[in-house]
Amino acid sequence: MVFKPNFKRVEVRMNKNQSQFEKIYQANYQKVIRVCMGYVNGDEALAKDLTQEVFIKVWESLASFRKEASISTWIYRITVNTCLLQLRKKKYLKGEEAIEKLSHTVDEDQPSKENQIRRMYQCINKLPKDSKGIILLELEGLPQKDIAEVMGLSHEAVRVRIHRIKNSLTKYVQNDSI
Amino acid sequence: MTAFEDLKSQWGNQRQPGIPKDGAKQILNKITSVHKKQRITNIVLALTGTVLVAFFFYISAYKFQPVMIGLLLMIGALAVRIVIEFSSIRTLKNMDVSTTAEKFKQQMIRYYKGRTKVHFIVTPIIIIVYCIGFNMLLPAFKENLSGGFYNYILISSIILLIILSLFIAREIKMELNVLRALKALK
Repeated sequence: MVFKPNFKRVEVRMNKNQSQFEKIYQANYQKVIRVCMGYVNGDEALAKDLTQEVFIKVWESLASFRKEASISTWIYRITVNTCLLQLRKKKYLKGEEAIEKLSHTVDEDQPSKENQIRRMYQCINKLPKDSKGIILLELEGLPQKDIAEVMGLSHEAVRVRIHRIKNSLTKYVQNDSI
Repeated sequence: MTAFEDLKSQWGNQRQPGIPKDGAKQILNKITSVHKKQRITNIVLALTGTVLVAFFFYISAYKFQPVMIGLLLMIGALAVRIVIEFSSIRTLKNMDVSTTAEKFKQQMIRYYKGRTKVHFIVTPIIIIVYCIGFNMLLPAFKENLSGGFYNYILISSIILLIILSLFIAREIKMELNVLRALKALK
């Protein structure tokens, strides 16, 4: 038997995957970049790079998406995990230094929107790293049940953690008097 | 409003970065170019290996036992190191990013623990084997090369070894920091 690859079929499948990817990209780009911004302390350029890494992983994992979870939960899982994976790279560690600099550049007398946003990222950055993913998803308005699915924790554990994080954030905000 | 609700409303009201035009296409192009680069790297490595083996036979190194053993030890040590690095890159690339964050963290911890073993057990052995191999070549160098060139090879190799060790130490420090940070995540 001679093996004859069916190129037309492969091409059709590729095109189908590409158009599916295009749809996923358009529908999820903004939520992904917002979460990434939270991980790199609001640095838009770094967040864009990180978002690109996330979508590369989305493309690579697309074939293994089994629809057991909703597409949104699946995308958030990839986002949180890719951020964890990529943040070990030097260029993303600069985001940590950026926030240090930011704290010196915020003008205390000018409660402009930009200053408020900077302070918001400063507060998020003060949280322990394990709380960052949870609180970013909470800020995104994801239901706690879905956050639990993304993080791999029980609903109860997420509820308790969010309560603690909210308390810590309130303390930071009050100390910084946002 | 509580402080957290304030924060949430600021989060919702921040400027939304626009979706890049042709962003999906750019990503697919990037993936294709990364695959091309990987293919080129593989070809370069295969060619380097072939040239080394060819050189080994060209100079009839197998006729001089200490030279042969020395060269084999050096090439072997480098080959083991390259295989380990490639397998590490593959493990990292094949990690399932669509699993839960908790499981992913455990995968990362396992990976970095493996890297620690490589750094503290395998790497020192590789460096020692490489140095032994180099040491075995020195008498042949001394016999066949001019005094000046022999000294140049000796001194430049020591400098190279120091630079390489510093580079490896920096990498180890960075990876240990990542492992520590991962373990600190509850």
